[in-house]
Amino acid sequence: MLDMLPQQLVNGLTLGSTYALIALGLTLVFGVLLIPNFAHGELYMLGAFSTYALVGAGVNFWMAVVIATAIVIALGVVLDRLVFQPLDHSSSLSLMIAALAASIILQQTATIIWGSEPRTTPSPIPGVLRMAGFSIAYFQIFVIALTLAAWGGVWLVLNRSRLGLAIRAVAQNKGAAQLMGIELRDVRLATFAIGALLGGLGGAILSANFPVYPTMGINPVLKAFVVLVLGGIGNLWGAILGGLLLGIVEVMVAGYISSQLQDVGTFLILVLVLLLRPQGLFGRVVLER
Amino acid sequence: MIKTPKLAANLLFGLAAATASMTAPVIAHAADLVIGEIHPITGPAAFYGLPESQAIKAAADEINTSGGVKVGNTSYQIVIKTADDQASPTVGVAALRKLLGEGAKFIIGPIASGVAPALKPIIESRPDVIQLIDGSIADGLTNGKTIFRNQASVQAYNDALTRLTKARAYPTVAVMTDRFHAGFMGSQKPLVEALEAQGNKVVAQEYHKLNDTDFAAQLTKIAALKPAALVLRGYPAEGALITKTARHLGYQGQVIWEFVSPPSTVLKNISPAEMEGVLNAIPPTSQDYVALGNEKALKLEARLKKMFNAEIGELSTLSYDAVYIFKAAIEKAGTLESAAVAKAFTQLKTTDVPMAINPYVPGADGLLFTDGQVGLPGGVQIWKGNGWQPLADLKLN
Repeated sequence: MLDMLPQQLVNGLTLGSTYALIALGLTLVFGVLLIPNFAHGELYMLGAFSTYALVGAGVNFWMAVVIATAIVIALGVVLDRLVFQPLDHSSSLSLMIAALAASIILQQTATIIWGSEPRTTPSPIPGVLRMAGFSIAYFQIFVIALTLAAWGGVWLVLNRSRLGLAIRAVAQNKGAAQLMGIELRDVRLATFAIGALLGGLGGAILSANFPVYPTMGINPVLKAFVVLVLGGIGNLWGAILGGLLLGIVEVMVAGYISSQLQDVGTFLILVLVLLLRPQGLFGRVVLER
Repeated sequence: MIKTPKLAANLLFGLAAATASMTAPVIAHAADLVIGEIHPITGPAAFYGLPESQAIKAAADEINTSGGVKVGNTSYQIVIKTADDQASPTVGVAALRKLLGEGAKFIIGPIASGVAPALKPIIESRPDVIQLIDGSIADGLTNGKTIFRNQASVQAYNDALTRLTKARAYPTVAVMTDRFHAGFMGSQKPLVEALEAQGNKVVAQEYHKLNDTDFAAQLTKIAALKPAALVLRGYPAEGALITKTARHLGYQGQVIWEFVSPPSTVLKNISPAEMEGVLNAIPPTSQDYVALGNEKALKLEARLKKMFNAEIGELSTLSYDAVYIFKAAIEKAGTLESAAVAKAFTQLKTTDVPMAINPYVPGADGLLFTDGQVGLPGGVQIWKGNGWQPLADLKLN
């Protein structure tokens, strides 16, 4: 049993890094704008489909990733302008329903354009690294590195730029930020664009690892919400740690208890965290704004 | 006082006539025979369902152009009404109700093993409705009275698998099953018992579900046990990912699939090199019949190309046969009356359906159905190059 532990830990880190990559954008939008963006899964899906289509048309994979991510950023901004901005002063329930509606519309649109058959983009980094005790595909190493790089990039923007200062100010107190002369519209646009970038980039890259189909965003976004709760809403480092923790827990449950209980383990942890530490494992208690 | 009721009656009659004339174009006229078909035309299983739907229309077109279904002195033209179940039980129930509402009493389909059990109680509550299942393999679906199936049962799939594992004498086998597939889950225990009884020790039983993307935890366990064969029971996209992941994790045994897997779908998720040598233990598919040069299958392939510019699907021949089975039963009954047609179904012999492409194994007295179920021979395919090829000798690659 224990001889499998190194491999299972690697499996957990690999799975968890994909959850963290998707959760990063979600936690940013939720943390700053308080929008439970269920359509984030569809931005992820559109990144994957765009990459698949571009690669199919003969575009180099890495170039396809760049173009697909740009497309998704534009779509994310349009989504915010058409769906969420008109509901800016509405209740969180209205925002949630609008997000679900947007999610379904995007899924159906993708079905009309690409059909529902699953397909996978050929991996741009083939091969497997085989070590004593574990093996891991080179592409999976790249995904883990990309997740850390994405976290680093967002951290730099938030903590080392004027835009980041403005975003953090809005996240802390929207009214006070406005009084300080921060243009809320610009912050909103930038936040949504960064969120869409992370979702689109995640989908574009993971299209070479997972099957691409119109409803492929549903499960990851559900898991990403679990990651948000585990890591603390709006906490970027929490999204990374929460994602990795969730991945490791899922793999350990499937590997050492039963693969039939994999999802049960996930949501059991969610319930436990909500009961024992509702601000998340890495979050801080905040007052209602 | 006396004239008022007459006037009212005339008005009602006029209204009724006007309504009838308005609705006439959507009601099949007297010489039409309506057959409803229920398949996943959209959704995650559309790659199975759409070719089935097209094959049904191709068979109906063939029958109609060659004189229709003959009942006494009347020749009926088949009208196909299509309903999309999206491989979802709730959508499937709504789709069936739509077909019944449109007057369809003869139903072909479905394919999804989750949909078929949801439809069963509705069909059984309507003795005037006859269903012929051309896709789902789950157990317990037929009743031999009004519900029949010309697809193999999951038992036939398992028989094909156990014949293969016995012929190859694998000392150890691991099984990985889609836990939401009613047919596979329902037959898991008897399959494991059958494998163990013939000397294939089952060292691991792992599970996944449709649309899962990560299988590393289960496969790490399996790879550590080094079974001689890994049997996958589910759907093609997951099968492709599991096969890839198993190889990444160092599993070097024989991978065996046990599900219908169109090469076009398989190749969208895995490279031909990674599929080379994978076995598939299922009854022969439409593409096998085409590969073997079966004339009727080739003819159907050409008709599908002409009518829909589409390739033949793995299950197309079953759907095609289903229309001909209905034709044979109705002509044998000599009426469209449901009870007589249902009775004719139970009396049909394999020789009564000469246009059938699949080589149905005759039951007692040559009957096509035994308790509503046909017999289909098992088979094994091997992946070579860009697709499956029939494997004549189970012991050889």
